[in-house]
Amino acid sequence: MKLNSPEALEEYRTSLPPRGGGAPVRIRVCAGTGCLAGGSQAVYDAFVVEAERHGLKDGVDFAAGTTGCHGFCENGPIVQIDPENIFYQHVTPDDVPEIFAKTIVGGEPVQRLLYRDAATKQRCRSEEEIPFYAHQQRIVLQRTGHIDPTDINDYIREGGYAGLAKALVMEPKAVVGEVMASGLRGRGGGGFPTGTKWESARIVEAEKKYVVANGDEGDPGAFMNRSLMEGDPHSVIEGMIIGAWAVGATSGHIYVREEYPLAVSNLRRAIEEAQRLGLLGTDILGSGFSFDVEITRGGGAFVCGESTALMASIEGMPGVPRVKYIRSTEKGLWDAPAVLNNVETWADIPRIILNGANWYAGIGTENNSGTKVFSLVGKVKNSGLVEVPLGTPLRTIIFDIGGGVMNNRAFKAVQSGGPSGGCLPESKLDTQVDFDHLKEAGAMMGSGGLIVMDDHTCMVNVAQYFIDFLVGECCGKCTPCREGLHAMQVLLHGLTSGKARAGDVALLKEIAEYVRDTALCGLGQTAANPVLSTMEFFPEEYEEHEKEGFCRAGVCSGLYAVAIDPATCTGCGMCARVCPADAITGEKKQVHLIDPDACITCGSCVDACRFNAILIERRENDD
Amino acid sequence: MTDTNETNGMITITIDGRKVTVERGTKILAAAKELGIHIPTLCHHDALPPDGNCRLCQVEVEERGKRKLAVACMYPVRGPMEVFTDTDRVMDARRSVIRLHLNRCPQATVLQDLAREYGVEPLDERFVAEHDDLCIRCGRCVRACAALGNNCLGFAGRGWDRTIIPPFDEPPVGCLGCAACAEICPTGAIKVREEDGIRRIWGRDFRLVRCPSCGEYYATEEQLEKADTGGAEVSDLCPRCRKRDEAKRIQIS
Amino acid sequence: MRSVAAYLSVPESRVYSVATFYKALSLVPLGTYVIKICDGTACHIRGSPEVLKAFEKELAIANGETTEDGMFTLQTVNCLGACALAPVVTINDRVFGKVKVKDVPGIIQEVLEDETE
Repeated sequence: MKLNSPEALEEYRTSLPPRGGGAPVRIRVCAGTGCLAGGSQAVYDAFVVEAERHGLKDGVDFAAGTTGCHGFCENGPIVQIDPENIFYQHVTPDDVPEIFAKTIVGGEPVQRLLYRDAATKQRCRSEEEIPFYAHQQRIVLQRTGHIDPTDINDYIREGGYAGLAKALVMEPKAVVGEVMASGLRGRGGGGFPTGTKWESARIVEAEKKYVVANGDEGDPGAFMNRSLMEGDPHSVIEGMIIGAWAVGATSGHIYVREEYPLAVSNLRRAIEEAQRLGLLGTDILGSGFSFDVEITRGGGAFVCGESTALMASIEGMPGVPRVKYIRSTEKGLWDAPAVLNNVETWADIPRIILNGANWYAGIGTENNSGTKVFSLVGKVKNSGLVEVPLGTPLRTIIFDIGGGVMNNRAFKAVQSGGPSGGCLPESKLDTQVDFDHLKEAGAMMGSGGLIVMDDHTCMVNVAQYFIDFLVGECCGKCTPCREGLHAMQVLLHGLTSGKARAGDVALLKEIAEYVRDTALCGLGQTAANPVLSTMEFFPEEYEEHEKEGFCRAGVCSGLYAVAIDPATCTGCGMCARVCPADAITGEKKQVHLIDPDACITCGSCVDACRFNAILIERRENDD
Repeated sequence: MTDTNETNGMITITIDGRKVTVERGTKILAAAKELGIHIPTLCHHDALPPDGNCRLCQVEVEERGKRKLAVACMYPVRGPMEVFTDTDRVMDARRSVIRLHLNRCPQATVLQDLAREYGVEPLDERFVAEHDDLCIRCGRCVRACAALGNNCLGFAGRGWDRTIIPPFDEPPVGCLGCAACAEICPTGAIKVREEDGIRRIWGRDFRLVRCPSCGEYYATEEQLEKADTGGAEVSDLCPRCRKRDEAKRIQIS
Repeated sequence: MRSVAAYLSVPESRVYSVATFYKALSLVPLGTYVIKICDGTACHIRGSPEVLKAFEKELAIANGETTEDGMFTLQTVNCLGACALAPVVTINDRVFGKVKVKDVPGIIQEVLEDETE
């Protein structure tokens, strides 16, 4: 049944039965990739079985549904119970009978399944009480974790496609104007003003134009787009239809990386549902405007996140970037004007149109409006997806929301922006997280990955990690990137293995800067960032690796020695237990000892020790 | 939006302080050539579409108050601009590119010449993979085969391991033996051998055809077969004799 | 690949270029079970290199290789987007999170047991 007008859509919306059939208790089980890996499917099944056992009718007495990613994957499987939004974590099928008896029937929470605030030591009953969520402002992620992403009715019930209905009765130029006034900047990392990009495509006279969504999310450590595509696919589709109307496009492509099969299937289903209701296809909502969208799957190439490579890939070629002296908004996909935006950018659009540009511009800081989703991962206590207004200080994100560094170790650095970004040290923790301030500080927002590192992280090793990654992902077309990154890789491996030559650090810097200046595409141009930023903030580590072959963080194998500090060792024996070389001896409650000859410097003991009693020292000269 | 110095699709720009007027869309490389300004290139060839991958033809371009490095072979003239082909920044960029090319193919004469001209020292032996690799991955052969041959060459793999080989790394079935790829290769990485009327290239043997007039070998049978399609009459004389023939015919008429 | 080229009327060189460019496409047959160890940043700093070594040791093959009986192929992959569960390993459709070195023999055992069922 096709909805032929905005009124028909509203009628349809109000005619929908309430969620869960109006049942007084509704259960949401997270079925995002992370929780599924933790076994949430079995948890959901257990609820269904248990309900039957209790004789409860689904859709009448109670309702169980699955949702997309809640963004708190480490604590999964996550189950939330409405109407109180009770938040349970680490739920197993064995917990379900107790949840049913105590909470669903008895109305009391199961204490041990509630999140415990590390600071107050109190259990948090609902999501609102959990600091991780309480400090967030979830606009893009408003619906993920709440709606069933495989049911368009859930989306419509929550106000979905109202933005589209409003846009279709506006002039395209006015729609673009609204996006411009909102101050929305590309959420993929480039931070280019979205409205400006749209306008440059709108004014081009062409027979065919495209809108493209970049769902390639190749930055290691980033999964914002995954959650969004899995958990609220319609928000991306709605944004694209609005954008197509604004610029005059009739076809759209969503490029999803191959590693996200659930996102692909949820998007595919969402497209079919939208087509069935006439929200995609010909004469959308009776406006006379026709538009449809396809999914293209990636092939396992990080470089395809670069806009020209992505378009080449859609065209069926290897994902090799093209020299971009003529903008894609003029000649992009198949030489036609194409507006490419990140999926998060597209998802921001419906609410901007619905609530107005001023609403969006009022959030965030000057020139950096709105919210952004970050993936806060690494050595942080609460890892997951964090959506905050732009301009929020790093410190707030890492400590108030993230809960600080795991195992109470010292904070060393946070890597922002993936392989194109930089590392920021403790001195920069008060930096406001937005496009401009991060760039000023020497990092880059990138797609939003924030990787927290503790004192047991070697910054030279981190640089090597990123260069190894980029060498594997470089397309090989241009000389600076193909040859230059390889040379940087040789130098970095020399540094981390103690085989560096005098002058290697300076040579590494030189080559990095030239690659940055002469490479063809963004991959090569930003490849230097992880190297240059770690060099800037941690120069001693580079110097020590080059001149002494010493790794002060205790990471680079063979470049340090470990010793147990008799002052802090409690004799708990954890280190001895995890040592793969049996190099640690000691009696219970007695100070333990490491045999330097047997030690293989794997670092396991340093990771295991809860008392920071393992010291990293320079090796004794063995000449 | 009109450019102040555009009339009838012709735009005047400045290169190294000298003015030149060119058609909109002309690449900086061609515009510089008109002024007799030489910009070094490797992956560029006038007969083929440009690719911008060697990064040697860097120049500085100043447009709308912003100055940046760009490759001259692909940067189009679309408005007023100032181009600088020999600033320190440009020279440094060129040197770094030559050094990286030399790293991959230390034995390529064209690279050794460039290194000498620009005073480039190679990186040490830790960085060189194969000393006798002559392929700089410029792709001229791929573009030539696409334009003149049967698309028998392509890039395989990606990144550091990227190579140029026929499909499946086997002697190409559709190859005409025209050797355009070998001729256009700037470093001589593609080997052709001719002996006793047989041309050997890419692991295949091709019989060469003699010109009935001068008796010289000038093409493979497969080349002539391909030239034959289209219905037009194709002479079996070699290009030199054909030109002489044409000239005589024009003289007589 | 030849059939694809003929069917789509594109040169074989183009098909070969595409086939060798994308990591998701393999020109050699893979094992029944493809073990993918995520080497994304979060997984990396939470110990994925050690997990890889453990798999290599247990299966007696190196990264990128397939066991002689054709059962297992070992690969490292880019970030799978399950970073909060680092280190992550997938074996065909199954996702294993928070994998420790000592879990590795057990995981392989589990997969082999499911196979014989």
